[in-house]
Amino acid sequence: MNFFSFHLMPWPHLAPPREFLAENEAAWVTLSNSNYDPARGKELYDRYISELVVAEELGLDGVVVNEHHQNAYGLMPSPNLVAAALTRETSRVKICVLGNALPLYNPPTRVAEEMAMLDVMSGGRLIAGLVVGGGPEYYSTNVNPTDARPRFREAVDLVIQAWTRPGPFAFDGEFYQLPYVNPWPRPLQQPHPPVWIPGLGSPSTITYCVEHGFGYMGVAYYAPPETFARQAVAYHDAVAASGRTFDPELLGWLTTVYVAETDEQAVEEAAAHLAYFQGTLAAGFVGPGKVWMPPGYIDPPALVQFLADLRGMVQGPRPTDAATAVWKRSPLIGSPATVRERLLNYVNELGLGTILALLQFGSLPADLTARSTHLYATEVVPYVREHADNHFATKGWA
Amino acid sequence: MGVNVVDRHAGSPSRAGSPTRAGSPRRATLAVSGREVTLLRGGDGARVLYLHGLCDIHAVWPGEQWTPFLARLATSFDVVAPALPGYNASAGLEDFDDVEDYVWHLVDLCHAAGLTDIDVVGHSFGGWFAAELALRRPELVRRLVLVDPLGVHVRGVEVPPFFGAVAPRGIGGAGEARRLLFAEPEGTVALDALPDVMTTEQQLLWFGGLAGAARLGWKAPHFQSRKLTDRLGRVEVPTLVIRGEEDLLVPEEAGRVWGGSIPGARLVEIPDAGHCLPLERPEIAAEVEGFLVGPD
Repeated sequence: MNFFSFHLMPWPHLAPPREFLAENEAAWVTLSNSNYDPARGKELYDRYISELVVAEELGLDGVVVNEHHQNAYGLMPSPNLVAAALTRETSRVKICVLGNALPLYNPPTRVAEEMAMLDVMSGGRLIAGLVVGGGPEYYSTNVNPTDARPRFREAVDLVIQAWTRPGPFAFDGEFYQLPYVNPWPRPLQQPHPPVWIPGLGSPSTITYCVEHGFGYMGVAYYAPPETFARQAVAYHDAVAASGRTFDPELLGWLTTVYVAETDEQAVEEAAAHLAYFQGTLAAGFVGPGKVWMPPGYIDPPALVQFLADLRGMVQGPRPTDAATAVWKRSPLIGSPATVRERLLNYVNELGLGTILALLQFGSLPADLTARSTHLYATEVVPYVREHADNHFATKGWA
Repeated sequence: MGVNVVDRHAGSPSRAGSPTRAGSPRRATLAVSGREVTLLRGGDGARVLYLHGLCDIHAVWPGEQWTPFLARLATSFDVVAPALPGYNASAGLEDFDDVEDYVWHLVDLCHAAGLTDIDVVGHSFGGWFAAELALRRPELVRRLVLVDPLGVHVRGVEVPPFFGAVAPRGIGGAGEARRLLFAEPEGTVALDALPDVMTTEQQLLWFGGLAGAARLGWKAPHFQSRKLTDRLGRVEVPTLVIRGEEDLLVPEEAGRVWGGSIPGARLVEIPDAGHCLPLERPEIAAEVEGFLVGPD
């Protein structure tokens, strides 16, 4: 089992969802950067980087950073800069950049170079996340969304060739043409760092990951855990269909985690900050306001379905008690006993080898983040590690 | 070059042909360079090639009926209205990523359909394609009508970003898109074309059409070429440009470039109409017909 601490580095100083949405259409693309205060930003970077560094001291296996542009949701337009700081602040944990949005870089050999630097600087601790980039980012960068996916896959091919083929060589693709591909440095891990790809359940993404031996990390902050469970089942089916051997580390779950002394306390402490995360910061790709989902980024039938699901979520009946409401989408919020039993159950039922825990979310303040992270690392992780059922063969997954 | 003529047109149908019934169009498919093109055809008279645009990417065909504008045109002309690649059931969008691809597709389409020396009416990006077609293959085009044509870039004149305005909303409909495209965004015509709640079929046509539009026009400023203005002086065919005075996507300055750069072009501005001129003011068909049947 691999336990990672994931950070989005959000801006925590906007209004709660109802007030925010009364004044703004989204926290992405058009929310003015005059809302960003650089002095508070400096404090946040210091705090957020420390929240990742502590994962190493607490015995977790890795830390995760990621890339977002022109939004309040995640303040790492260049996650590689934070990862570079982490190469110096940590010495043991894996450093996962999940990931660099390849279509936004031209040429994407820039990503091959920076990730090779991180791998060498960290002594071979990099996990290379490669991503298509979010819908809003296509508005923010004006990169054409209609060929995002074929462009992404060609860029992945180019990056992996750049890491593995002795240079110089010429690359003559549909989207990228480079007469000399010859990046220095090369990665320390051979043949190249592990590649992980986050996904929302698209069957083609799952198959693509399986066929290329890439990790599939299901993103599941907004949807009920059953949605991720279906992705995990689809992943196992794809592995079985491919005839490959299941490698548990390559199937991961990216989810919110909050641990306090009791279930009631955990729900009470987390609820407002979760609501800020899912209601204010995510406004822009989920929720009642503007959905920055560019044309052609997903097929029209998938977009129609996405919008129908979204409306179902926004307009559907709401649970009356706070705990049910929170657990509907974030089951790993509760006492150590609750969280570890639930997590163990998911791990064993779904055959998960990697857990990416979002331990700070929304406006969750430093003191609560620190206490929850400590409880998770000391009372949840060791228990799940010890009791995880690795006999995948009995479930037909090996 | 200045503007040749600016008419203030109040929508009088004085020059319209006799209002005979156009009847329903026939739906047909045509193989063009290995791609299947869906088209509607109907009416009697000289042939007119109609090239659709942003406003009718989903409104022209769903019921396999003419829009009122095309119905009026079809009372006097044999109207051929293809769906451009990627729109409706026409295939091949993945091979298209700039205006050149569309123009050479139209050259092939004219050959495949046996169209030469025809009148071309283009709306929105269809107007842009029509002008580019006349630049490259003037022998194919007899007269040119450009209705709110996109394509002209005027430095310093800001145009609201189209794709931001048409981004979906979780709840709350298409008001922003209607405000960008229609002079009367809450009028019947606008609400019929872009309702707040669309059926699944309407959504599929609309989002599919937007993907086609994004292939062409995503690069900012959307649907504008920095090279077009300098080329317009080479258009050799008689040209009528019609612009809605409230068109936010084709600002007044761009209308003046069109009217002023194409030799002999006439610019007609229609008050109280936005970018979706053929939908909001179908009576402009009379102006179009008057130009197409009129003297050189």
